[in-house]
Amino acid sequence: MTLSLSVRHRFGSLELEAAFDSPDGLTAVFGASGAGKTSILRLIAGLVRPVQGRITLGDDVLVDTAQRRFVPAYRRGIGYVFQEPRLLPHLTVRQNLAYGGFFSRRQAPAIDFDRVVALLDIGALLPRHPGTLSGGEAQRVAIGRALLSRPRLLLMDEPLASIDELRKAEILPYVERLRDELRIPIVYVSHALDEIVRLATTLVVVNRGRIAAAGPAGSVLSRIDLPILAHRRDAGVVLDVEVDAHDEHWHLSRLRCRAGLLSVPRIAHPPGSALRIWVRARDVSLATEPPRDTSILNVLPAHIVQMAPGDGATVDILLDCGGQPLISRITRLSASQLGLAPGMPVFAMIKGVAFERG
Amino acid sequence: MLDLSPDEWTAILLSLRVSTVAVACSLPFALIIAWLLARRRFAGIVVLEGLVYLPLTLPPVVTGYMLLLLFGRAGWLGAFLNAHFGIVFAFRWTGAALAAAVMGFPLMVRSIRLALEGVDRRLEEAAATLGAAPPLVFASVTLPLIGPGIIAGAILAFARSMGEFGATITFVSNIPGETQTLATAIYTFTQVPGGDAAALRLVAVSVVLSLAALILSEQLDRRGWRRVLGR
Amino acid sequence: MHRCFRFSPLRAVSLLAAVLVLPSAFAAEPEAPAPVVVFAAASLKNALDDAAAAWQQRSGVKVTISYAGSNALARQIEQGAPADLFISADEDWMKLLSNEGLTQKSTEHDLLGNHLVLVAPAASTVKLHIEPGFALAAALGDGRLAICNQSVPAGKYSAAALQSLGVWSGVESHTAPSENVRAALALVARGEAPLGIVYTTDANAEPAVRVVDTFPESSHAPIVYPAARLRDSKNPHAQELLDFIESVQAREYFEKQGFTVLSH
Repeated sequence: MTLSLSVRHRFGSLELEAAFDSPDGLTAVFGASGAGKTSILRLIAGLVRPVQGRITLGDDVLVDTAQRRFVPAYRRGIGYVFQEPRLLPHLTVRQNLAYGGFFSRRQAPAIDFDRVVALLDIGALLPRHPGTLSGGEAQRVAIGRALLSRPRLLLMDEPLASIDELRKAEILPYVERLRDELRIPIVYVSHALDEIVRLATTLVVVNRGRIAAAGPAGSVLSRIDLPILAHRRDAGVVLDVEVDAHDEHWHLSRLRCRAGLLSVPRIAHPPGSALRIWVRARDVSLATEPPRDTSILNVLPAHIVQMAPGDGATVDILLDCGGQPLISRITRLSASQLGLAPGMPVFAMIKGVAFERG
Repeated sequence: MLDLSPDEWTAILLSLRVSTVAVACSLPFALIIAWLLARRRFAGIVVLEGLVYLPLTLPPVVTGYMLLLLFGRAGWLGAFLNAHFGIVFAFRWTGAALAAAVMGFPLMVRSIRLALEGVDRRLEEAAATLGAAPPLVFASVTLPLIGPGIIAGAILAFARSMGEFGATITFVSNIPGETQTLATAIYTFTQVPGGDAAALRLVAVSVVLSLAALILSEQLDRRGWRRVLGR
Repeated sequence: MHRCFRFSPLRAVSLLAAVLVLPSAFAAEPEAPAPVVVFAAASLKNALDDAAAAWQQRSGVKVTISYAGSNALARQIEQGAPADLFISADEDWMKLLSNEGLTQKSTEHDLLGNHLVLVAPAASTVKLHIEPGFALAAALGDGRLAICNQSVPAGKYSAAALQSLGVWSGVESHTAPSENVRAALALVARGEAPLGIVYTTDANAEPAVRVVDTFPESSHAPIVYPAARLRDSKNPHAQELLDFIESVQAREYFEKQGFTVLSH
């Protein structure tokens, strides 16, 4: 079921003009603070009525200003997990979860209460009051509550923003399970690239109220011309890989991808598993000759597609590595000394330890 | 303990009855008005606010006199209500209840309005996204959250009603058994040489009732807040 | 430390001026004498106001009159209210004060008489003749009879009259008791009560009521207004005012309202 959006609205000092489509899977909405990400969600949810625009979900027209049509929030069947848990303080956790299912009289098949509780591991919390829960626990309950309202679409607004790293690592798998097991279309707002890399099927980039890019996550992520993606400390690319084999002696794993074979420190997944890994641009070095006697494990032949000078000392170089985009960040000095130019064949070198899963 | 004469008992019971009816009947209106003032914006809202809070600042006797002009037997509304609905306020305990209700109304509205303004609207938003239509959001989210405020306002209005004098005596006089409440009974006893003993007895009762109301309101308030904030 | 009080010429001058002006605020006007304070029954309002104004003109001394039910006034005097003269609407309250030694007994004097009447709003056409067993309850309908409460002289007279005429039991639970006779009068004038019992003098003073009938003198104790100077009265002009009120020159003010002036 596709969500289609084309709106224009003014939020305080922000002039928002956005249009994109969100097919099944998880659509990540990425951008800096104040770019308009939350505003887009609020428009989809029906908490805001745009001055002009059209929003459709599947065959349903939710908003069409030309036809003066506006379906209010409570009738849209769109769940919303906010930045704060927003649990009702006068109800227990169980009652909060039940609240989600109580008002929805939707035809959609009910998601089993116990299944949701198991999925999010909140069984022990059921009799307690929201005031006694930790941030992570409350947020999991909030997700459960939204799920139990049988949403056709789930909106998640930086749900992990106020949660510490450890908890985040615990909850991210749940979100993946929502995407893969329950198969609910999700629109997921974040300004954390690592979440996006892991979760996004589609990626929409918002900048100052405008859509800078929208499309499959893999291709959008490798666009170095996008100022907010590139030139960031953690700019890089997503690699879809498959686990080929494990080397027990050296405690390494071999991953197969379009760019070639990669050796990385041992990971837990069995051979045959499909994964996504993030290759940071600053971990990719370049050589014009095949390197010899070097400690770097992964050397992949590639050629230069595009070069984008950054601020001051660095330059980001987009490479094509057997059809797989890679980004390398090196000093402009080095680039000049090597005489790098678009079209040139080079060797991309990535240290094995650069792949430590964090 | 307190040897109260039948007249004195009558005054006490009448006061309790008048105050309870006054608070119970004005509560729905106070809720509506408080909601309008807290959540809505429309032309004339300032006028509404002024009218609601007027009994707080006007001398009670003035309020009583206005009630007399409006609802007395010969009053503009009073004659109409009597002719068409048989509702009479003049010289009846219903009039005393009306006076008490009018005087306590601004206190109730203020308390409820403050509670409404303190409600986290984000919770109401969340409820909407979960499928609850606006009236259901009000009933299941807003109302429980402002519960303590409603109760506090009701108790305040009740206490005010118990002490209501100026408006009552101006509007419905001081008729034993009908409109002679605790306050006007004490007044009558102080107007007569030799009425001190009776007056003091009633004063003692008055103090006990006020203290009870205050303590009750404190308890409810504390427990109420604890529940709302999740123990 | 030097921040606490900043010296400025303006402040100094203001402070000085205040200090100089202040004492004069407390100093009484050296020329005008203290007013004479009179506590009088409410029914005396119009007549006594006129008489006092006349005296004030000729003597140059101000008069302050407080009108209320005689019971309330008696109680205030008991509590030490600073009154010079007391004029009650019945003898009971004067006797009470006299027995407590609060009056100057030599000045006690029965001043006026009055009559009790049944009144109705001016627009009402009710006709009743006051006689034993007359149809008062029927005439009231579902309305209330405006009288004074039992502590006020007018209330006592009214109850006594109705009792002696045998109609009290029928109307006892349909009264609207007031704190003083003028308040009862107002209820009838406003149309809040279809009938009321007040003094003749009150009915005369209020054009919005009409007299239905007068109560026979035999139905109640004689209505007597005693006057006296109070024991703690310190104002030298108080006696002069009392003398004037009791004098022949003052008769016209009372008779104009309908009071009977009792001879010395």
